[in-house]
Amino acid sequence: MVHPDPVLAEIDQQFPESLNRTFELLRFPSIGTDPAHHADCRKAAEWIRGQLAAMGFKAKLRETTGQPLVVGEYAPPRASGNVPHILFYGHYDVQPADPLELWTSAPFAPEIRKGRTGREAIFARGSADDKGQLMTFLEASRCWLKVHGKLPFRLTVMIEGDEEGDASHLDTFLKRNAKEFPVDAAFICDTGMWDPKTPAIDTRLRGCTGIEFTVTGPRIDLHSGYYGGPARNPIKVVSQIIAAIHDKKGRITIPGFYDGVKPVPRKLLKQWEGLKFPARKFLADVGLSVPAGEEGYSVLEQMWARPTAEVNGIYGGYRGPGSKTVLPSEATAKLTFRLVEGQDPKKIRRAFKQFVKDRLPPDCKVRFDDSGGDSSGIAVSEDTPWIRAARAALKAEFGREPVLTGAGYSIPVVESFKKHLKVDSLLVGFGQADDNAHSPDEKYDVDSFRHGTRAWARIIAQFAKE
Amino acid sequence: MTDLNAVLDAATKDFDKSLERLFQLVRIPSISTDPAHAGDCQKAADAIVADLKSLGFDAKAHKTPGRPMVVAHYTPKGAKRDTPHLLFYGHYDVQPADPLELWDTPPFEPTVKKGKDGVSRMYGRGTADDKGQFMTFVEAARAWIKATGSLPIKATFLIEGEEESGSPSLVPFLKAHQKELACDAAFVCDTNMWDAKTPAITTRLRGLVHEEITITGPKIDLHSGMYGGPAMNPIRVLSKVIAALHDKNGKVTIPGFYEGVADLPKATKKQWQSLNFSDAKFLKEVGLKEPAGEKGKSVLEQVWARPTAEVNGIWGGYTGTGTKTVLPSKAHAKFTFRLVGQQKPEKVLKAFQRFVKDLIPKDCKVEFSGRGGGSPATEIPEDNPFIAKSAKALKEEFKRDAVLMGSGGSIPICRFFKDILDMDSILVGFGLNDDAIHSPNEKYNLASYERGIRSWVRIMGEFGK
Repeated sequence: MVHPDPVLAEIDQQFPESLNRTFELLRFPSIGTDPAHHADCRKAAEWIRGQLAAMGFKAKLRETTGQPLVVGEYAPPRASGNVPHILFYGHYDVQPADPLELWTSAPFAPEIRKGRTGREAIFARGSADDKGQLMTFLEASRCWLKVHGKLPFRLTVMIEGDEEGDASHLDTFLKRNAKEFPVDAAFICDTGMWDPKTPAIDTRLRGCTGIEFTVTGPRIDLHSGYYGGPARNPIKVVSQIIAAIHDKKGRITIPGFYDGVKPVPRKLLKQWEGLKFPARKFLADVGLSVPAGEEGYSVLEQMWARPTAEVNGIYGGYRGPGSKTVLPSEATAKLTFRLVEGQDPKKIRRAFKQFVKDRLPPDCKVRFDDSGGDSSGIAVSEDTPWIRAARAALKAEFGREPVLTGAGYSIPVVESFKKHLKVDSLLVGFGQADDNAHSPDEKYDVDSFRHGTRAWARIIAQFAKE
Repeated sequence: MTDLNAVLDAATKDFDKSLERLFQLVRIPSISTDPAHAGDCQKAADAIVADLKSLGFDAKAHKTPGRPMVVAHYTPKGAKRDTPHLLFYGHYDVQPADPLELWDTPPFEPTVKKGKDGVSRMYGRGTADDKGQFMTFVEAARAWIKATGSLPIKATFLIEGEEESGSPSLVPFLKAHQKELACDAAFVCDTNMWDAKTPAITTRLRGLVHEEITITGPKIDLHSGMYGGPAMNPIRVLSKVIAALHDKNGKVTIPGFYEGVADLPKATKKQWQSLNFSDAKFLKEVGLKEPAGEKGKSVLEQVWARPTAEVNGIWGGYTGTGTKTVLPSKAHAKFTFRLVGQQKPEKVLKAFQRFVKDLIPKDCKVEFSGRGGGSPATEIPEDNPFIAKSAKALKEEFKRDAVLMGSGGSIPICRFFKDILDMDSILVGFGLNDDAIHSPNEKYNLASYERGIRSWVRIMGEFGK
């Protein structure tokens, strides 16, 4: 390892310029899901391409089925076959900014001010998700290059514009072009710290698979006076199915659902216990008091390491004002299953379909819509060179052992990398729980940006040889 | 008896003219829901008043905030204090006729056609609902007056013009004219026969209670990735409530729900069994196979004589296209309960609310709409003298026992007559299930009209004995 001090000094010395560059990027209203902003997406992509080119990368905009993808390739001079090939991923697209009236300052006019916690922060849409985060890595690389003239690995920078929209665009691109990217690991900067003082590495992501089912009873809506009693009510059938999904202990009753689910390693569980996660407050913040997941598992385990079955929406019959004496012909429910490593989304969907069919009265019909796509749960081994390097670097920067966390949600790109490039992802990010990603007054702490940049420099240093 | 035969003869002889009088009324497009037809409603009301006046009725079209209300009284010569005073109810307003292109003949140009089955039917909006029906008792009165110079009973006709638009003026009108309208019993002519050959009296109408509930779990919608697992999902809670409403045998599980529900009298049960009603056909028409109500009860019993708990609507979370990984904060459902016998709406509502509260986990909340409520069932005891005499008269006309039917729906007028005027309603009508009321090509069989007139002649005669 090379000592990172000169690079850290460079980072601190030119920090205002790093901020300026980040502000430039934040000024593009690159809302990927809004066609009116597609030109802004291209401009943001072009800006990043320019930055990479200036750092000596071969950088291009690659067309995808969605927004353009920035791909920058870097190879150190005289690189032998032995240097690792790292892929760094971030996204330049941002969430829509509305409701605009709830913003203190304009979403695409970044400014630094003190947030509610008293910490200085960059306020702008995309500051935390993900422009500020991706810039930590780019600025660290820039400073490293300035001091040392070369990076200690091959590097592919891949910055996409569809993260907030349809994940299938990047997935399709990777599937088609996998051969171009024979990388050894992917670094992703799009996650958070455990708290403002404690860094975190996400090693577990729950996958997700969605399915919608519609039960048809009578072929038309019926008058509840004439048919109430003998006519089968599909709302009731759907309700009975939903009610049967969990047992009294919160366990999911779909046969085979838990196949492949492994217990959390004892050491990791112990670390999680040590976090003193304020479960009560976590629930109280959203108006709840009793953990509703499987009995016998802590709230953190329920979120990070246990699969779920959730109803996201339900509808059927009359939903207008007042009363209508109708017996509906159809009722629909939308479900998603959060999956952990070892569960096969396709198998889960099959098992659920069977579960529904087994509970269907003979004169009802069911149709399924499972076109939403899916992702598997991921648990990365803690014993990889990438995680070892990140742990050491984060500890050095923050003075605390990083927490190996889980995330309840899926990051589809992690699965795409795994599937098409056959690599694990290292998830290191510097966001805070109060960053308001996706909400008005999104912000990124200046400290997150500073320490994030420095932390990446320390991670790069782990791979450099004297 | 001679009197009666003379009157029946008069009715039959006069039938062509009866038909023409009905047609004149059908030609007036008295659509109450359409303000453009307010003048037609007035015209129809005036025509009825003029006709009844010509028969010697004291008739008047009363102004209301909506369409006029026709009230007409007839007191026979030599009427005594104990001469029965009966109210006859019908309505002159009709449903809109659209979609017009689906009518084979213009809706307001009544046309008689003979079907391949040899049955003559008149087609036109309002022929069955309800102009043809209420004209049966008008024409019966005419026959009595023509043949004998008088009616055998005291009669009050109440013909409203807002039935198809929810009768907004009816309750205030009944309250304002309580004394004038209070009779011994009310005959409502707006229902069906059992079949073309079998007359019927509807003696059971289920009551109705409605309520809407909202279950709140987390105070805001949550991301299912972040909170999936530990966060309670209100849709799940609501589903449990709905799933718990019935046991495996289709019985409603709300404690106290069946209080006031009596078993069906044996004689009635027997009569209903003898109707050879096809459960399978009834369900097949709407795409179903298995009766989903209480096990051990026939479909007719389930619809006519048993209470129900029904979910009419449900919604919560994301209901658009595609997937959204949200854990909703709220879930809603609308319920109705059909009531029978002596079930009390307030009690059922309270018992339901208690039932729901008991199933709500500690950190969820349930809100009730605050607009819940309803009305009890109407059941006329089968030994009610008005039923017995009407049934006898119907049997004499049709040579078949009148079926004492139930109706799963509620007819609000019966409640109003009971609550405001303290009189039972006897529902006698001559419509058939295939009359296509509210639909294009509404029709009324000529036989319904003729035998309806003759039936009322007999019923009036029966009460005048």
